[in-house]
Amino acid sequence: MQAYLDQLIQGGAFAGMPREVVYAIGMLLAAFIVLSAFVAPLAGVTSWLERRVWARMQSRVGPNRVGPQGILQWLADGIKNLLKEDIIPTAADKKLFSLAPYIVFMGFLCAFVVIPFGGHLIVADLNIGILYILAVTSLVVVGILMAGWASNNKWSLLGGMRSAAQIISYEIPAGVSVLMIVFLAGTLSMQGIIKGQGWAPWDWYLFHNPFTFAGFFLYFTAALAEGNRTPFDIPEAESELVAGYVTEYSGMRFLFFFFAEWGNLYVIGAVATTLFLGGWQVPPLAIFENSPMLLAVAQFVTFFLKAYLWVFVAMWIRATLPRVRVDQLMSLCWKYMVPLSFICLLGTVAFMFVPADGQRITSAAMFGLGVAITIIFFLRVGFQIRQAKPELYFKPHI
Amino acid sequence: MGVASYIKDITDTVKSVFEGMSITFSHLVRRPMTIQYPDKIPVPIQETLPLRYRGILEVDLDICTGCLACERVCPITCITIGIDMNKETKQRDFSHFDIDICKCMYCGLCSEVCPTGSIRHSQEFEGASYNPAGLVRHFAPQPASLYKPKKGGETDPKLAVKVDIGQKYLDEFATPDGGAAAEEK
Amino acid sequence: MEISTAVFYLIALITVGSAAVVTFSRNIIYSAFSLLGTFAGVAGLYIFLGADFVAGVQLLIYVGGILVLILFAVMLTHRITDVEITNRAAGRIPALVIVGVFLALLIQTVRETPWVKVKEVAYQPTTAKIGDLFLENYLLPFELASLVLLAAMIGAVVLSRKEIKE
Repeated sequence: MQAYLDQLIQGGAFAGMPREVVYAIGMLLAAFIVLSAFVAPLAGVTSWLERRVWARMQSRVGPNRVGPQGILQWLADGIKNLLKEDIIPTAADKKLFSLAPYIVFMGFLCAFVVIPFGGHLIVADLNIGILYILAVTSLVVVGILMAGWASNNKWSLLGGMRSAAQIISYEIPAGVSVLMIVFLAGTLSMQGIIKGQGWAPWDWYLFHNPFTFAGFFLYFTAALAEGNRTPFDIPEAESELVAGYVTEYSGMRFLFFFFAEWGNLYVIGAVATTLFLGGWQVPPLAIFENSPMLLAVAQFVTFFLKAYLWVFVAMWIRATLPRVRVDQLMSLCWKYMVPLSFICLLGTVAFMFVPADGQRITSAAMFGLGVAITIIFFLRVGFQIRQAKPELYFKPHI
Repeated sequence: MGVASYIKDITDTVKSVFEGMSITFSHLVRRPMTIQYPDKIPVPIQETLPLRYRGILEVDLDICTGCLACERVCPITCITIGIDMNKETKQRDFSHFDIDICKCMYCGLCSEVCPTGSIRHSQEFEGASYNPAGLVRHFAPQPASLYKPKKGGETDPKLAVKVDIGQKYLDEFATPDGGAAAEEK
Repeated sequence: MEISTAVFYLIALITVGSAAVVTFSRNIIYSAFSLLGTFAGVAGLYIFLGADFVAGVQLLIYVGGILVLILFAVMLTHRITDVEITNRAAGRIPALVIVGVFLALLIQTVRETPWVKVKEVAYQPTTAKIGDLFLENYLLPFELASLVLLAAMIGAVVLSRKEIKE
């Protein structure tokens, strides 16, 4: 990004303008493009896709009226929410009530700065990349607490408190799992972590050793909990808290919270892909060598698909698991995930002393294990289908 | 809490999540149970409903004896029946027979106690209306005479058809086994 | 005025302004939330000094940890708004004296420090250097800090532990 701007400045494109102003305008432009051309449609389409996937898993059809197969449902929902009355309760703390959605939104959106969509497609490759993501997502906690308090409503306050307690608890297993990869890669930079892996699955940190394999699932679970996703969505559990901290919100402010939630799913997937799944690495094919454009597209598609796979898994988990109770949530974090993540961290550190040959054998074995688990899983799916003898229907549309 | 139970907790969690995920995944390739309502099926939706579906109540006033059993058995009194003496014919007439669909909870008790099967659940379920008053069904818009069952069967061919329909409904719906025998036939 | 100077003053204004709200606001919740601006502003100053790692950790620890802890304390304390916040027992004159002494000290420090004007701040990764220093020159303080934290953690466990009756 900066290099490209430097090139333009050298070419005399912005004669008479101070360098910093050019940078600032460039950054604002990049933020605008990322927000309007990528994040907004992504969050919207994710909301539609989630409803469709969820419906199919529950033997329903899902929204399929607006546009072909309902793909424009998110636009209709967005317009509906824009036109709705923006109600601020009389007893609410008006200043904080209005401010809270923006802080949540900012915390989530800041993470997009360091997400590497491709080899050169990154807004800024900060050398504290992953630490930066952990830091800015903590802004979300403040926003949620603010929303919970300002609504002046017991459900909102309880929801906000639960959410904050949950996020700061699960930040520990998530942080320790991230630390594992930082140890292996020796850098905090997102591009550096990706470059430490290869394009092939057995070069990924996921299959580096048994501890990173377990650490990946720990990270993903903790990230789901941090994103307030089912089965950890007790802050907005409708059966007990109406809608948690968003109870009093309506119209566009309400949408901001859910915008952040669905967009955050992609951030979770993207960070998991960067840390464990080799990021945008593509096989060194001959066609890529003389066509940098094609290479960039291939990298973007690879990264997007890998990240979106985990968005799909999050939807799938939401359709499968019931939500946990508050005490179960806390005991899961402090009694199981924190000790396990520390064991994984120590194991990974110990594994760094294994000679290179041994590491290669372990990676191959772990990759074999991963393939075996996938095969067993699909055999199990086949078993479920045979047992229920349902009417099969393979088309995604209906 | 011993180490063994701790490890068992973890393995149990992983196993049950794995199993649950496989079940939900298998649903992705199953045909959805729901159908596209109200279009995209060849016949009206009401015809696809099961035999003993409890839709909105309907009354065949021609075979109603005015015994008021339904009115009494209704747990939320959504049925109101008015019977007046007609001074000219010296016979009792229905002045009104109203069912408030807003109140009805579709329990089916009224259709079970009906001796002739004149009050029964239809397959109809689309009860939308622009005002609550529109949801009160008036089955006796003008005074109508009560039905008197004749000994040795109905002779009027028009009424005989209706009596048969009512009796068939009773046999299917209000039997001790819940109509299971009728369904098997 | 250079743009970087303007940005510096902007960040400083946010930091000091938020700090002023923290001090002078009558609403304790506003004070607590204003700390967000102060902490973020300090992180911005760190970035200005080229200390990227410290800026990240500042956000992570202060916003994600300490601010949330303060908010929890404020929100969970029973009838915190009813408490008389200003401690009138001490009075204004002693407070003025203490503030005056501190102000004099600060001004003296500012005047005596030999300020060096750096021409160009070189933005280099600092993470590795910080790590090396922690494990070489400052190993003992680092370990001592970990010990203090460990003691605090054990203390928390002991305090919150329930008596198990046989």
